[in-house]
Amino acid sequence: MQNSDDFSRIARFKDGDRSSFEEIVLRYQDKIYNLCRHMLGNAHDAEDAAQDVFLKAFQALPKFRPEASLYTWLYRIAINTCIDYKKKPIFESLFGDSGGDERLVHDRASDAPSPEKLYQSKQIDHALRDSLGKLSPKLRAIIILKEIEELSYEEIADTLDISMGTVKSRIARAREELQELMKKFREQNP
Amino acid sequence: MSCPKTKLISAYLDKEMGFGEKTAFETHVQGCNRCSYALEELQSLRAAFANTERHQAPYGFAAKVMARTAELEKKKAPWLVPFFVRFAEAAVLLAVITVGILAGKVLMNSAPAANTTIIASSLSLDMFDATPPGSPGGAYLAMMEVRNEK
Repeated sequence: MQNSDDFSRIARFKDGDRSSFEEIVLRYQDKIYNLCRHMLGNAHDAEDAAQDVFLKAFQALPKFRPEASLYTWLYRIAINTCIDYKKKPIFESLFGDSGGDERLVHDRASDAPSPEKLYQSKQIDHALRDSLGKLSPKLRAIIILKEIEELSYEEIADTLDISMGTVKSRIARAREELQELMKKFREQNP
Repeated sequence: MSCPKTKLISAYLDKEMGFGEKTAFETHVQGCNRCSYALEELQSLRAAFANTERHQAPYGFAAKVMARTAELEKKKAPWLVPFFVRFAEAAVLLAVITVGILAGKVLMNSAPAANTTIIASSLSLDMFDATPPGSPGGAYLAMMEVRNEK
């Protein structure tokens, strides 16, 4: 489903109004950056990849079909960019690397939980991020789209250009593998 | 022993089941320890995801992207602007030369016919007075005349 603001921005862009592209960047930068951040595991690569996503979008936007959804199209570019991007070892910095300039939406510490709960929560988060980094890019992509970006099965199918059945089975497999990896991580880091 | 219905937990958790399927699955979970345990496990995994950090793009991100798109556009058509400028330069040069030629022709046509007698007389030294006798100039010319005669 195309957002009417997006529709007008795309039309303006096609008419030569480059400022409409900046509006698109401002609207989707956090979502795309967050997706790249979880796909790649560190702030530096995430920023590079997210910039590449928007550059690719800038070049391909004149051919964009208005009946498609802009954000699922951007997500698709982002997933493919991240899958292609990673040639070096993934998840270089696992422990709270929030990067130089990036901003966090969820700062758990600001909720002021007890030190014990905070420690527990950090351990789980650590296990999750470590395990996420060990998943195959395809499974990582699908679980991030579901759990972090909170897309529906239909939106995921549209983004990844796969059938609903594949979405269902791939999400189930990703969760299964993730649970196994987290269990292993906890055993190795009691 | 595993239960084949554990495969359905993911869709149940994501609310991607029809009403009938959902009700049937809930009834099944109540009587199946394996599915009940797996459901709890998946719920805690979801909770872990819910608590994980969400990141926002760094400050100045959009500006960086826009700067890169501007560079991209420049690179995309590097010949286009210089070609246009070069074309304009050549056109101006051609116009100046044409105007110059036309102006020259007009001036040539409008100039009066050349009078050779007037020109020859204007070049003659007769218009100058003879040197007064006894002056240094007169003495010099007399000396030169004598030398030429020799």
